[in-house]
Amino acid sequence: MAFPKPQATLRSATGIPTGRLAVWWLLASEVVIFGGVLGSYLMHRLGHPEWANAAAHTNTWIGAFNTFVLLTSSFTAVLAHQAAEKGDGKKAAGFLVLTIGGALTFLMVKSYEWTVEILEGFTIQANGFWSFYYTAAGLHALHVIAGAIIMGIVAADAYRGRELQRVELIGIYWHFVDVVWIFLFPLLYIAK
Amino acid sequence: MAHTATQTQVHHETHAHEHHGPQGILKYIWSTDHKMIALQYLFTGMFMGLIGAYFSYVFRMQMAFPGMSVPGFGQVSPGEYNALVTNHGTIMIFWVAMPVLIAAFGNFCIPLMIGADDMVFPRINRLSYQVFLLSAIVLIISFFVPGGGFGGAWTAYPPLSAVAEYNQTNLGSSLWVLAVALEFVAFLLGGINFITTLMNSRAPGMKAYDIPMVCWMIVIASILFMLSVGPLIAGAVMLFMDQTIGTGFFDPARGGDPVLWQHLFWFFGHPEVYVVLLPAVGITIDIIATFARKKLFGYKLMLYTTVATGVLSFFVWAHHQFVAGIDPRMANVFTITTLLISVPIAELVFVIIATLYGGSITLTTPMLWALAFIAEFLIGGVTGIFLGASGADIYFHDTYFVLAHFHYTFFPIAIIGTFAAFTYWFPKMFGKMMNDTLGKIHFWGTIIPFNVIFIPLFVLGMGGEHRRIYNYEHFPELAGDGMFLLRQIATVALIVMLAFQVVFFYNCFVSWRKGAKAPKNPWKANTLEWTTESPPPHGNWPEGLPNVYRGPYEYAHPDRKEDYWPQNEPS
Amino acid sequence: MAEQHDDTHHGSGHTPSAHDAHHVNYKKIYLTLLGLLVVSVVGPFFGIVWVTLITAFGIAIVKANLVIQNFMHLKWERRIAKWFLATSLVLMALFVGGVSVDVLNHEGNNWENVAAQAAVERGIPLEPGEEAEEVEETEAEPVEAAAFNAPQMFGLVCGSCHGAAGDGTGAAGAALNPKPANFTDPAFWAEQNLHPQFPVRDRARIVQVIANGGASVGKSPLMVGWNASFTPEQIEQLADYVMSFRPAQ
Repeated sequence: MAFPKPQATLRSATGIPTGRLAVWWLLASEVVIFGGVLGSYLMHRLGHPEWANAAAHTNTWIGAFNTFVLLTSSFTAVLAHQAAEKGDGKKAAGFLVLTIGGALTFLMVKSYEWTVEILEGFTIQANGFWSFYYTAAGLHALHVIAGAIIMGIVAADAYRGRELQRVELIGIYWHFVDVVWIFLFPLLYIAK
Repeated sequence: MAHTATQTQVHHETHAHEHHGPQGILKYIWSTDHKMIALQYLFTGMFMGLIGAYFSYVFRMQMAFPGMSVPGFGQVSPGEYNALVTNHGTIMIFWVAMPVLIAAFGNFCIPLMIGADDMVFPRINRLSYQVFLLSAIVLIISFFVPGGGFGGAWTAYPPLSAVAEYNQTNLGSSLWVLAVALEFVAFLLGGINFITTLMNSRAPGMKAYDIPMVCWMIVIASILFMLSVGPLIAGAVMLFMDQTIGTGFFDPARGGDPVLWQHLFWFFGHPEVYVVLLPAVGITIDIIATFARKKLFGYKLMLYTTVATGVLSFFVWAHHQFVAGIDPRMANVFTITTLLISVPIAELVFVIIATLYGGSITLTTPMLWALAFIAEFLIGGVTGIFLGASGADIYFHDTYFVLAHFHYTFFPIAIIGTFAAFTYWFPKMFGKMMNDTLGKIHFWGTIIPFNVIFIPLFVLGMGGEHRRIYNYEHFPELAGDGMFLLRQIATVALIVMLAFQVVFFYNCFVSWRKGAKAPKNPWKANTLEWTTESPPPHGNWPEGLPNVYRGPYEYAHPDRKEDYWPQNEPS
Repeated sequence: MAEQHDDTHHGSGHTPSAHDAHHVNYKKIYLTLLGLLVVSVVGPFFGIVWVTLITAFGIAIVKANLVIQNFMHLKWERRIAKWFLATSLVLMALFVGGVSVDVLNHEGNNWENVAAQAAVERGIPLEPGEEAEEVEETEAEPVEAAAFNAPQMFGLVCGSCHGAAGDGTGAAGAALNPKPANFTDPAFWAEQNLHPQFPVRDRARIVQVIANGGASVGKSPLMVGWNASFTPEQIEQLADYVMSFRPAQ
């Protein structure tokens, strides 16, 4: 039985639908969380030029490939939104499944990447650079996992033609996850 | 369209497809009704308050009578003392002030005061309480693990908090960090609900300036929380990893920096005090308008001043770090901003006083609490100015002067604010009137001892008494008879104050059982929550959500016979 | 009037987004993003710092902007949302700006961060052209490699009660009752019949007390157990150190 929404949920004094307004606020709070992590990393990195020796060991090609994967998944997410707007729940669900596929690919590549790095001795305790590397990318990966799970639920609903407005909402969250990675990539991989 | 309003908010709508809330005992666990969730937060917060108060009793006994076995606890060891002091602060801020002022009264009042039938995301609301409850359980577990509860102060500075050899509470310290992180998640979820509900779900006709001040305040506080907690969540993750897997985020030898933790903590820590202050101010304003029968002196002025305070609160954080080894040039900047922030707060106090002036004042119990809030918070605010000046702070930092200052701010916020709100909205929440005489006895029995506790602490602080010391007998200059006498006076006053809380609980119980049935609008107030039953049924206005025609403070309007003008009356 | 709850929403309960009227070519944006990605990967190969910075971070900003405006549709969103999102970014700039003075810098007005400066000294960046492999070891030691220094740990943790010289005169022990043990007192070591399993003050008993606390041998609980803080090997080393205070017979 679907949960009956209170009238409060359907009102919109601001003109922004409630769900979307909530997602923007969620993103605002996520900006300050990732900002805290990345800001701390940035200050340390700029103050410790010797971290470049550690940073030299990140694999730029894997990072670039993962960037490509996430950008593509953002593309499929927005195509899902386009389909949902036209009312085509099944097509939207299909694009969302592709997006989830991108998420899984990203996670598998990252698992492989981290395994290699850990076996080479670059553990999270090795030094400050690696501590931040695993923490920042790990926090991001947790958001990828959470996003993929919620996206699966939204896709299942959309396939049945229900709650299509949520396709846009999970998409906005997903694009945010992509944007965080767009900054992580140069910070962790390119700036050596 | 028959419906029955009961105290237990089980809804009996007979519309064919209307959803039934959970029935029986399950409604206390699975309800998504904002009023039920509000009560859950309220009772959990009050229960945690009892624990925090018990801790303060134990450590004050140790300070006043060092080495003595404390009745109801036993002998206090140094490690236990540190854990008591740490967790008293942590509990009171995160598990009492925030859940009661923001989550409980926010959840209860916001949908009712804006004419909505619930929060916009009832299931996320329920989830936020469940995460909050989990965080409280995790914290309580931390007291019972080997090593005991974390003892590194609520500010948890590394390396003490990061290295188990130093803090000697290997498990307790990690559970503490975990509990705090969970509490943050709960309030992020709740905050999204409050902000979105206020922004979007107002009654038709309720413009921005028709919103009651308490709703504005709780939502602005939620915004401040959501925008400031991020860096500390980042810091908590880093601290947790330093504790458990041996990273070196805050270890200078490995390229980390303990001062970074301090900045991460206080960047949030300072806005946090405004996060708890604003709801208390909002509650005070609404109560004063109701019992002075007078329009608010400057609604927009107050609103803009509050926003300005919120913005400024992000620019003062390093005044907690004046003597921590920060660059002295930063100290200059933060002194200026800190002294500046006293201006909008003072303005708020002036506006409240101007509202009272010329009003027709009735000294009911809620009004007494609201007035006490102003008087006591004023003392707290004024003493903050001494501390905001970095030069004076060199002496005062980490003395009891600081402690008395923040208790003169936090106590009005968390305790006086709570009792003000509770006695004001009790009739609406529980459908019965509280006993006003018992309420007044409780009021005076709390306020007078409160001052007797903390004024001696100002004196002790000026005399050089350091904070967080297990036994002042170890410091000859602080072990004089005069100083110990002051400590004992404060401790006895605390015991008296705690004893008077029994009057409060007795009043609650007796009023709930045998109090006079509360009408819809016992205080003859204007805001929307007073236009429905006491307590409101599921859906708040089953016969139809109200429309709004005017602001919330139209008291003593010259064109009206009545001295109040509810927002939902067309004319 | 009580309104009916519609249990099965088809996405019609919200106002249509304003961008319906706008045609965004998502494919073009996507291909632009990919092109920018290529540029940012290629940038470092030129070896010029400024080029790398612009292609890495400048392009990141451009890419993020494209995603935010076009995929998230922020371009067509109401202003209020843009305002509070911008506020969160401004606050992050404030945070980094305000904290850099203390954390990014390692010295300032009347202060210097000696540990951080030492860390930088140890791992000076290599000249262009040098290999980077061996430098890992010159970074700060990993946690496991640090040797356990029992005398130092005693002074740090035990001395506050037992005194740095092991004579029971530590400041924190002054008000305790009973007083902390004085390891330099012959009478302490001579006591007999103290406990069924640990009758005399031999090494086994010392290890037991350090690990499990005074209460485990029938003595005061003010001496806590340390098995949560030290490994058995470390406790053995601490016991050796305590035994070393014993006066020669």
